[in-house]
Amino acid sequence: MSLLDPIALGPRTAPNRVMFGPHETNLGRGRSISDRHVAYYARRAEGGAGVIVVEEASVHESDWPYERAPLATESEPGWAAVADACHPYGALVIASLGHAGGQGTSHWSQRELWAPSRVPEVDTREVPKQMEAADVAAVVDGCGTAAAMAVAAGLDGVEINAGQHSLVRQFLSGLTNQRDDEWADRTRFARELLEATRAGLGSDAVLGLRLSCDEYAPWAGITPDDAGALAAELARFVDYLVVVSGSIFTVAATRPDTHEPAGFNLGLSASVRSAVREAHGDCVRVVAQGSIVAVAMAEGALKDGAADLVEMTRAQIADPDLVAKVRAGSVEAVRPCVRCNQQCRVRDNRNPIVSCIGEPRSGHETTDPEPPGTPVTAGALGRVTVVGAGPAGLEAARVASLRGAEVMLIDAADRVGGSVRAWSGAPGRESLVELVDWLEAECRRLGVAVELGRAVTPGDLGRLGADDGHLLLATGSAAGERGYAVTPAAQVVNAAELLARLQPAPVQASGAWQEGEASNIADRLGLPPGPVAVWDPIGGPIAVSVAELLAGHGRPVHLITPDQIVGNELSRTGDLAPANARLAQAGVSLHRRRILRKVRKRDVEVENRFTGELERIAANSLIDAGHRLPDDTFADVDRSVSRAGDCVAPRTIAQAVLEGRRWALSL
Amino acid sequence: MVSERLLWSPLRLGPVTLRNRVVFSAHLTNYAADGKPSPQHAAYYAERAAGGAGLIITEEHSTHPTDWPYEKLIHGFNRDVIPGYRAITEAVHAHRTPIFAQINHNGGQASSMYTRLPVWAPSPVADPLFREVPKAIDRAEIDEIIAGYATVAANCAEGGFDGIELQCSHSSIVRGFLSPATNRRTDDYGGSLANRARLLLQLVSAVRSAIGPDLALGVRLCGDELIEGGTTIDDAVEVAQMVEATGAVDYLNTSIGVATASLYMIEASMHIPPGYASFIPSALREVVDLPVVGVGRFKDPLQAERALAEGHCDLVGVVRGQIADGHFAAKSRAGQVEAVRLCLSCNQECVGRMGLNRWLGCIENPRTGREAEGVGVRRPVAIGRRVLVAGGGPGGLQAAIAAARNGHQVTLCERHELTGGSVRLAASVPNRAEFGDLVRNQFAEATRLGVRIETGVTLDAEGVASRRPDVVVVATGSRPARPYWAPGDEGRIVDVTDVLSGAAAPSGRVLVLDELGFHHATSVAELLADRGCQVEVVTPGMVVGQDLGVTLDLETWWIRAESKGIVQTTELVPMGWEGDTLSLLHHPTGAMVERRVDWVVLAVPAAPADELYLELAERGVEVHRVGDAVAPRRAHAAVVDGERVGAAL
Repeated sequence: MSLLDPIALGPRTAPNRVMFGPHETNLGRGRSISDRHVAYYARRAEGGAGVIVVEEASVHESDWPYERAPLATESEPGWAAVADACHPYGALVIASLGHAGGQGTSHWSQRELWAPSRVPEVDTREVPKQMEAADVAAVVDGCGTAAAMAVAAGLDGVEINAGQHSLVRQFLSGLTNQRDDEWADRTRFARELLEATRAGLGSDAVLGLRLSCDEYAPWAGITPDDAGALAAELARFVDYLVVVSGSIFTVAATRPDTHEPAGFNLGLSASVRSAVREAHGDCVRVVAQGSIVAVAMAEGALKDGAADLVEMTRAQIADPDLVAKVRAGSVEAVRPCVRCNQQCRVRDNRNPIVSCIGEPRSGHETTDPEPPGTPVTAGALGRVTVVGAGPAGLEAARVASLRGAEVMLIDAADRVGGSVRAWSGAPGRESLVELVDWLEAECRRLGVAVELGRAVTPGDLGRLGADDGHLLLATGSAAGERGYAVTPAAQVVNAAELLARLQPAPVQASGAWQEGEASNIADRLGLPPGPVAVWDPIGGPIAVSVAELLAGHGRPVHLITPDQIVGNELSRTGDLAPANARLAQAGVSLHRRRILRKVRKRDVEVENRFTGELERIAANSLIDAGHRLPDDTFADVDRSVSRAGDCVAPRTIAQAVLEGRRWALSL
Repeated sequence: MVSERLLWSPLRLGPVTLRNRVVFSAHLTNYAADGKPSPQHAAYYAERAAGGAGLIITEEHSTHPTDWPYEKLIHGFNRDVIPGYRAITEAVHAHRTPIFAQINHNGGQASSMYTRLPVWAPSPVADPLFREVPKAIDRAEIDEIIAGYATVAANCAEGGFDGIELQCSHSSIVRGFLSPATNRRTDDYGGSLANRARLLLQLVSAVRSAIGPDLALGVRLCGDELIEGGTTIDDAVEVAQMVEATGAVDYLNTSIGVATASLYMIEASMHIPPGYASFIPSALREVVDLPVVGVGRFKDPLQAERALAEGHCDLVGVVRGQIADGHFAAKSRAGQVEAVRLCLSCNQECVGRMGLNRWLGCIENPRTGREAEGVGVRRPVAIGRRVLVAGGGPGGLQAAIAAARNGHQVTLCERHELTGGSVRLAASVPNRAEFGDLVRNQFAEATRLGVRIETGVTLDAEGVASRRPDVVVVATGSRPARPYWAPGDEGRIVDVTDVLSGAAAPSGRVLVLDELGFHHATSVAELLADRGCQVEVVTPGMVVGQDLGVTLDLETWWIRAESKGIVQTTELVPMGWEGDTLSLLHHPTGAMVERRVDWVVLAVPAAPADELYLELAERGVEVHRVGDAVAPRRAHAAVVDGERVGAAL
């Protein structure tokens, strides 16, 4: 069995086993499916996706969980356009239908939330209304109507969400269903709703169900032990079942970053699949979901019987051509998803558009030009030089080479990758290096000349093509300013410098350091023994991972931040609560609402933001995880010489790749 | 009898004459769509023009594509904004009110999220909110910024605006250049104040050239950034003099704080005294002859008049006051001060929605943000029905107001001796007193509209039937709910409402449990600390009173809490009570901790008091319910429910 084999889903047949699952994109206009959605899905269909499930639409106006959440009654034209755009490539197109229930928000609707019982939303504390019989009927009817609309729009079917953010799961779970009326029979609502949906669909369209099979709350929630029976009971209504996990206390479980292992639901999927097959044979297909980004893992899931299909959503955000590349036998050409969640996770008040750090065109298909997929005539663009082989320089070199340039890529270091290699040397960040490894491999495959260990000076630029515009500076960042006093004997090390000392980092999938290497690494840290303070004015992932790294080596760690919450900026990637839990479990001392004032040999002095009082924290060294400055080697070089990435302004991989690509496309 | 002589006197700002001194100053609304002004903008500003404002200054219009810090920003640099500008200015001019456009580039106080371009700023100093290192712009880019201002000013002139205001105060690239905290340049745009002000003066010159002599030009300056190493009043005074010396500027506006660092002092909540920023216009006015606008929680006309009379300023910015009541000026001018729906400075639905990318509203004015949809407009009914409202909290009062407005005969019964519901309790804490204006305003409006209000009357289904109403609105609120772990007979575990009503008087060691994340726990904690209790506030969340951050109350809460010795502990979930000991689970680690205390005060979700509704529904009576009786939420939800249900009868 291969990922590429077709498979029947009830009355329809998918051309292969790879699903592009439903996810928030913020691509909508108002509450409809937009032209941006159409282009986004069409690109995945073009790249070979077997089944495309469109972003969830609310089946009733009582549900408006985020500003751009599609509403089924406004989605029909958009669904039709997506179907028309995707069907020529062979993909099945499914509409996701749902209702977030008590996990929604009233901020857009200005109405109360509806839920089975009055269980407050965990983050916002909003108390929902306990649904009345008429409310239940309205949602059930809404599903039937939406299903009929989906069929009328030319879609192949619909998928009901009983996963992470869903009213259906809230009825199924003892965590959220505390009713004493007929819906105390917890599967009743799901059954009513699935029957109405099937009635709306007719017999010629596909009905799927996305079901949370582990709520990670065994005291009252759905557990893996119950899930087989639950899935078997509900599977009789559907053609396929997607096995997911997570609930009100574990919202990040839908799409965790690298802190959860890849394929974390595969065991669950296997056990649910066997229960479903026992009850229904192979007429109900089981789809595995959960951080499956590698083709080999997806193939393994099919071979091991964990699933009949595999959802690879982020993998196809990172590379829309994933299936096409597998079909062409070039799996190594698939741009890896590194599960960083930095650009693709968009449940955020600011309504960011779904995208990818490595594939900036994702989500921007209607506006961004696409680099050629295969090299055009060599030499068409003449010679091009890129100084700096971090993500900006690598992407620039890759795309310039695809466009037919003869590219020379120069870096002062003895490896390509720039600061990404160092930054990926701390726990939970290891996978980032896969992106620069892929970029390097692509550059080498395309014949980019890579010259390492060569420090370029301003005087060299003329010879390197500065005058004809075929030169890019992508030389990265330098240490930032320090806004605190440092006494002469004090040890202050920048986070980047600390992590660079650990290079080359041992590459390990699990993120754990192997025994035996530990002492070696401890030596390489080069810090005086004893407690370490980490100063974090940013609240991003760096300080948290450095603190974890040091705590993992037995160092007492003090993490100091001016914020109310450690890792303040991590909510976008879903790691905010998990990061705080990991730090607590690692015994890291958190000093919140404190400003670093002075570093001495044996302690650091911090100021309480609200009282102005100074406190001393015993520490023999300080790691500065603050902002960095642009590399200033070429500060005086004329602005007509192009620049990209951190040497413009130190930011993240996403901006570096985007700017590198833009330059290469501008040639 | 109108006593505010100065406030209602006309004033010339260069080529523009204002009928009075009440300014609806610039503020974000999030009404824009796709970078363009919307019909809601026009309706919103027109309402304040109709309501008598002397001058309206719109929210900012961005001057350059590198500036896009929040999603719903007007991209003034695109010419497709001009039809929207015309719609706004025509709607406002219909009420013979001048309207200026504020134009701005937010500089480093932004991110690349929407632009996908580097953020531009004087120096690579990351903003404390956006935390993105900006690109230090070069000379050519400075020229581009200046050209952008000129273009946008010309677009605004073409769109029919009467003047332009340059926001150089709290979120601006001009502020970035002016402030030593963000300007580290060594060229002739950095160092001395004259250098730091160079961009401002170039912009003044470029914009004046673009708009010619027929439009007014104003500059808004920050008098104190309230940040380390930032601009203070001495610099501001000197810059004001430089601006006046150009001869190209017609007025000065003022501001305090940095939007991305000290916002809680820009849009101060009720915990900051009114008029707190008047020292700024006062200081500027001493050295310049230009008219100066003062801002800072001006809530009522008398207070505004006093600021003018005392010489602090020549005009008064009343923003939230006119968000709460679009007819603030007209009512005040007509001597009907008691009819003004006074702003509470609660920040819940205006300021509190801005940072969350939501449209601007008002806790007590359901029409705000919905003007274009016609919310709150009187729609007389042919035959008035007899409406009975059960419950006189914010939901019941608003339902009564909306129904009476349309001509129904409304009776409202409240079981207590006073209306106000749980809002009265919330406002009983000294520093939350202004919150009580919500229900005082509603009571006054309901009375004016002829609602018959009966207090001390508890309605049951029989009582409702005996009154023979055509329709019933149940607004019976909520009642405290006991968490599973709290023994029902334990008298030392009490609800917040028990403490506020005086039914319980905790003393000694008190643990306040915050599961609501708003003012409930923090208010009662302060009250008890003031009474000498040793108070610890505990929450399962990551921050006590998490939503105080949204209303800009978190900073001042922390300052007061620290000074009162209130301890705050996070990530603890109560699990059981034994004797005098509460056991709690530290959920990130699974560790159990204990607290021996004399009292536990609960700020936990309440239960709806929905019996009357359910019984009436069962009997087939036409009945609607609003507010906490549907689901216990915050006051705004009750007001919105009441307006919707009352207006639809």
